[in-house]
Amino acid sequence: MGLLCSKNRHYAEADIEENAQAAEIERRIEQETKAEKHIQKLLLLGAGESGKSTIFKQIKLLFQTGFDEAELKSYVSVIDANIYQTIKILYDGSKEFAHNDVNSSKYVLSSENKVIGEKLSEIGSRLDYPRLNRELAEEIGELWKDSAIQETYARGIELQVPDCTHYFMENLQRLSDANYVPTKEDVLYARVRTTGVVEIQFSPVGENKKSGEVYRLFDVGGQRNERRKWIHLFEGVTAVIFCAAINEYDQTLFEDEQKNRMMETKELFDWVLKQPCFEKTSFMLFLNKFDIFEKKVLKVPLNVCEWFKDYQPVSAGKQEIEHAFEFIKKKFEELYFQSTAPDRVDRVFKVYRTTALDQKVVKKTFKLVDETLRRRNLLEAGLL
Amino acid sequence: MPMFQPSKRDGVVVAGFDGSGDGQVLDLDTAVRDGVLGGGGGGIIGAGGGEKLDLKKMIEELDLPEIPSVFICPISLEPMQDPITLCTGQTYERSNILKWFNLGHYTCPTTMQELWDDSITPNRTLYHLIYTWFSQKYSLMKKKSEDVQGRVSELIQTLKKAKGQARIQALKELRQVVAVHAIAMKTVVDEGGVSLISSLLGPFTSHAVGSEAIAILVNLELDSESKTNLMLPTKISLMVDMLNEGSVETKINCTRLIEKLMEEKEFRSESISSHRLLLGLMRLVKDKRHSSGILSGLSLLRSICLHKQVTSLIVSIGAIPQLVELLPALEPDCLELALFILDTLSSLPGGKAALKDCGNTIPNMVKLLMRVSESCTQYALSILWGVCELAPQECSSVAVEAGLAAKLLLVIQSGCNPVLKQKSSELLKLCSLNYTDTIFISKCKLTRTIQ
Repeated sequence: MGLLCSKNRHYAEADIEENAQAAEIERRIEQETKAEKHIQKLLLLGAGESGKSTIFKQIKLLFQTGFDEAELKSYVSVIDANIYQTIKILYDGSKEFAHNDVNSSKYVLSSENKVIGEKLSEIGSRLDYPRLNRELAEEIGELWKDSAIQETYARGIELQVPDCTHYFMENLQRLSDANYVPTKEDVLYARVRTTGVVEIQFSPVGENKKSGEVYRLFDVGGQRNERRKWIHLFEGVTAVIFCAAINEYDQTLFEDEQKNRMMETKELFDWVLKQPCFEKTSFMLFLNKFDIFEKKVLKVPLNVCEWFKDYQPVSAGKQEIEHAFEFIKKKFEELYFQSTAPDRVDRVFKVYRTTALDQKVVKKTFKLVDETLRRRNLLEAGLL
Repeated sequence: MPMFQPSKRDGVVVAGFDGSGDGQVLDLDTAVRDGVLGGGGGGIIGAGGGEKLDLKKMIEELDLPEIPSVFICPISLEPMQDPITLCTGQTYERSNILKWFNLGHYTCPTTMQELWDDSITPNRTLYHLIYTWFSQKYSLMKKKSEDVQGRVSELIQTLKKAKGQARIQALKELRQVVAVHAIAMKTVVDEGGVSLISSLLGPFTSHAVGSEAIAILVNLELDSESKTNLMLPTKISLMVDMLNEGSVETKINCTRLIEKLMEEKEFRSESISSHRLLLGLMRLVKDKRHSSGILSGLSLLRSICLHKQVTSLIVSIGAIPQLVELLPALEPDCLELALFILDTLSSLPGGKAALKDCGNTIPNMVKLLMRVSESCTQYALSILWGVCELAPQECSSVAVEAGLAAKLLLVIQSGCNPVLKQKSSELLKLCSLNYTDTIFISKCKLTRTIQ
């Protein structure tokens, strides 16, 4: 009898402990679910090279502790890769133009530079790149200055030359230093195709240093072959930040050279707007790369893009730039309302003009985004 | 008898008469200087000329949050207007302590002592102090509000440099001053306030700043140059955003300001050819909780309808059925605007079709004939005409069933202008084509449809 009793007690004790553990786990799950609810999810979407990752980096710099030395150093290989890849594209491009173009002589390099070009082209086709050193930097610099390369660069759009080219080429000496540590600006310009998903959690600290909302920002790959990875993220998103590079109206895609980039963006935006999971999501449209747009729009008319074929210029200079920008903005607004079912028309939809590389602009823009989302919350809570 | 010690605050916190308005204990030095304690100097009453200021009135008007605690009646916690002191040395408002006695208590409320002496002594000294203190505050307030121009200048200077919260505060205050004092409006304009406030509006303007700025600008006299400046696409875009997201007051302000800007001849239709603007306006117009919003929304919509390029956009966003549904609930002035809009839109083929497709168009229009005003009747008639002409078979029978015939007869028999009467008889003829004479005449019976 005594044995029985003590055995039962042993089991009973084990039970109690198990129950206590289970209860603790339940409690923890509940707590964390509650905390999760307060975190607002922001999703960065857009076509490839629209500036999503740059915005992501800016937010990291603005509202988190930025990049520490190790992280900065990790970008050295990326920057090296950018430089080698770019100069290879330009060199190969000059050869192509020299072969095919009517004014072939424009694209013919000097014989010394041809030698350099062949060498760099070979390096650029390897899987692993050597660290940029003084010697290589000088050679790249020489090649870059060659008029044939400059002529090729002028037609960079046809060759998928990335936007960071000029910046890196002008800074070769600094970048090739033995003790080079990338600056924040270097990191912002560094271009690497995002695969998979990256996220950061942050809180935009207000003027009074009161912590406000907590946001979690997700950056996803933009090229076509990455989009299927986004689907499972769409649940419960507070806002979509859709980046559209407005300077790309005359460029074609990296992954499909027949497709105009602006048309691709248009289709993607349309697709995103119609997703059922975005029924209640706020949409912030960042019309990005305004700095490049400003310079291009006066030289290349908007109507080269099919979507903008009904554009009529009205004036010149700054006024014309503003006019062209407003035209594009209206086109996107039109698209938004056409793609939005009547029951969704009350979603927040705002358009912002951005230059992702300019930290001040990103900061100001994000303050506005934050204000809009907070007002929306108050409105939904019935407090406004 | 133990003497009750009056409570002392540690130190002397300055009450001051410099308008700071806080502080619990009088600073005797400043009190002497300012003549509160009865000395000759110090301009006790600002008004001068023997005008006796009523203490009660002053207390009410000033409505100060911080009053020296010695002035407060312990029973009601309100400032005393007729302080009397009991034998315990405690002072109360006369009416309050008498109420206390009437309830049968013969104790001092704060000390809880039983009163050994039922005399109540008017505390003239305290009364004098209270009166003078309030008078000082009052004349300061009056002076401040008279110095509106100075205040406006000050605020404009602040705005030139202030950022963030300070900027919002300055704008808020300026808005309040302008709302109360007509002279403030002129001062703002004279001191270059308009261009200053306009310059605050841009692509990075927060809602907080933008809404205050618009609230000020909409009440001012704007010259041509200012209006042209405000017509810049980024500024209009900001106004449209606020029209969509702001409070009702903000929405109305934006609406009114845009309408003002449209009066300028340089105004480009492109600025208002915007989905966001039109959808925001429709939302405002449909918000039954705020009738002033409906009026200003319809007013702007009417002005927009005058721009032919934009009318098809209005039709495409489905405004017509929404407006038709609204009609029964509208006030007369709103009705006229709504009908004008619908009439203008009916001149477009898409508009006419939308009107026909909306089931309530005909019944609502018929109801409105000869109900509100001659212009309403005119617009309703025009709309009915358009719809019936488009689909005579279908629409005229619906219209006649709704009592159109009788109403048309009323118009013809009334004192309306001849054109209207002519139109009415033409419509009557059109509708009668589908009926035999006898049936049609029976449809014309007045009893059912007219009150």
